[in-house]
Amino acid sequence: MTLKKLLVGLFSLLLVAGLAGCKADPKPVSGKVLFWHTYSEGEEALFLAEVVPLFNEAYPEIEIESVRMPYDGLKQQVITAYTGNVAPDVMRMDIVWVPEFAKQGILEEVSAFDEFSDLKDNFFAGSLSTNFYNGKYYGLPLNTNTKVAVYSKAVLAELGMTEAPATWDEMIALARTLKASDDRWGLTPQGFGPWGFLPYFWTLGGKVTDDEYSVATGYLNSADSIAAVQQLYDYYKEGLIGPAMFGEQPDAWGGMAGGNYLWIDDGPWYFSIIGQTAIDSTIVSTIPEGKGGSVSVVGGEDLVMFNKSENKDASWTFMQFMMSDEVQKIMAKTGMIPVTQSAADSLTDVPAYVATYIEQLKTAQPRTPSASWGSIEQVLSLAIESVFRDEKTVTEALNDAATEIDALLK
Amino acid sequence: MKKSLKYKYRNELEVLPFLLPGFILLLIFIFYPIAKNFYMSLSDYNIFLDKMNTFTGIDNYIRVFKDKMFWDAFINTAAYAVVTILPQMAIGLILAIIINTKIKGSFLFRILFYIPVITSWLIVSLIFRYLFESGDAGLINYLLLKANLIETSISWFSNRWTANAVIWILAVWKGIGWNMVVFLAGLQGIDRSYYEAADIDGANIIQKVRFITIPLLKPVTFFIMTNLLVGSFNVFTQVYVMTNGAPMGRTQVLLSYMYKVAFTDFQIGYSSALSVVVGVFIFILAMGQQKFLNMGYKEGQL
Repeated sequence: MTLKKLLVGLFSLLLVAGLAGCKADPKPVSGKVLFWHTYSEGEEALFLAEVVPLFNEAYPEIEIESVRMPYDGLKQQVITAYTGNVAPDVMRMDIVWVPEFAKQGILEEVSAFDEFSDLKDNFFAGSLSTNFYNGKYYGLPLNTNTKVAVYSKAVLAELGMTEAPATWDEMIALARTLKASDDRWGLTPQGFGPWGFLPYFWTLGGKVTDDEYSVATGYLNSADSIAAVQQLYDYYKEGLIGPAMFGEQPDAWGGMAGGNYLWIDDGPWYFSIIGQTAIDSTIVSTIPEGKGGSVSVVGGEDLVMFNKSENKDASWTFMQFMMSDEVQKIMAKTGMIPVTQSAADSLTDVPAYVATYIEQLKTAQPRTPSASWGSIEQVLSLAIESVFRDEKTVTEALNDAATEIDALLK
Repeated sequence: MKKSLKYKYRNELEVLPFLLPGFILLLIFIFYPIAKNFYMSLSDYNIFLDKMNTFTGIDNYIRVFKDKMFWDAFINTAAYAVVTILPQMAIGLILAIIINTKIKGSFLFRILFYIPVITSWLIVSLIFRYLFESGDAGLINYLLLKANLIETSISWFSNRWTANAVIWILAVWKGIGWNMVVFLAGLQGIDRSYYEAADIDGANIIQKVRFITIPLLKPVTFFIMTNLLVGSFNVFTQVYVMTNGAPMGRTQVLLSYMYKVAFTDFQIGYSSALSVVVGVFIFILAMGQQKFLNMGYKEGQL
């Protein structure tokens, strides 16, 4: 046993010496980095046209192979690729996935890299925290976003408005007027899932957990939270909520194009995907202010490295490069909000709507950061859906959900 | 001694080289996965690192029986079997009998009814999803409204049983052709002389079907039943594509639920336990059915 330890010790000493030797020699990092992302068409075009050439210029020895992945079935693709040893080196993934994959033990801990401590302080704290799991960091934030209120210019004009209503009550008054005509709806949460529902829930004064994300009972089933869901349910019964919430037609974007919806809440991709038509036909504003303020949900993506990567140095170089002000500002042109203080401060030459998103981010809240988020999400969706489908009362649904989420947060 | 032993098993030794490839394939692709699956079901397995996190014994199995979602999926699957099998067989049989009477263009009908069978599940599922779209814009809703059969459009995929109904309609539509072709093969195996004898006795068409065709088709009927019943427990694609369990997991079937548990929730151990339970159930069902209907099978030529 002791002999074995001794040998291991000796061997590691040799290894360290060897590594030190490598460091002394300033050989440029080389290799090929396979990068999976889910950029939209417009975003990918910009990434390929501007970011990749810049990187190649700075690091000619490193080759970037970027692959655009579909959102559908992406998790399953990661499983197949990782277990089959063809996982990408670096992947841009949804912020809510990072703790979950970190828990599975397949991500490289980035806080172990020397340069991490220098990068760390420049990130917005909220964005960085999405990479945190069990005392360590498993990724770098790449871009952040949120959803704001996107109003149909035509429908507003019909209601005699030239700008967005500022408060929740004003907005509801417009919705009630709109209801008089067929197939028109005043507000349209996109689904029962947290991403669709939480902005409405928070804006009306609801809360999911305490500020430390440790317990849901007393928050999710508090009087304020119950009142918030009840209020939305009452709007639904009154006929103010559009069918897109139930996944029915017209869907959110179709309803906006068809003049069925007064407003939807959506991310900057609404504009980068649809293009100029979307910009011309809408008025963007922060979510109309309700009892809980104007609260939206934080989204975004992080960059992670898989621990099976054979090009860790090259991958890490690429990841750091993506954090530079220059790259952050290039990608901001598509409405992707930078995650570093320095880039956000010096942002110029971006579409006008981006300012609204940055404004909304000041009060936006993250979804509960947890390795069990996938399960929490299902519990929350089910609770809200069972209210809207008249299977449970609001109090029942939220009490049950709070108990289940408490167990998941432990 | 050695020589006599070799002599004794000479026949076995001779066929061994022919059996071996099949046996090895069976071992690798059937027995090993089953054993591994069972092993995984005893833990909260980590699929990425291919290792057990903690050994949990039969906990996963206890959870299966307490899981309300599992029972929902089970009931949906059973309902799918009960509702879809008989209509498919009945319509398939009727079509087979009609086509077998040498009407003009029977070859064309044979092809037409078989086209749904060879069309991809994925594609027809997508088409059905659009056909049964909610609101007045969905084609089925539009037609039903025009025909004054309904007053307000139906949100097909928003309710458990209307969503299941769409799944069933698709299954029947797609299954008829296969039933027809197999029944047709069975019909062609029936000796003409039975019908000629019946004609002489003055039997009408209904009597001929009732007393000649159906009894003589027993083996074929059994074959179809077994296939459809086992097939019902394999229903996946149309559910995954059309509803993916919505609303609230109420249209989940066994396979789609298993898939969700494994690949969305990463609960590989639990999903393995689910698959063991379902596998055992299908095994019992198939054995029971064979016992129940075996008179048909034993007489049969198939």
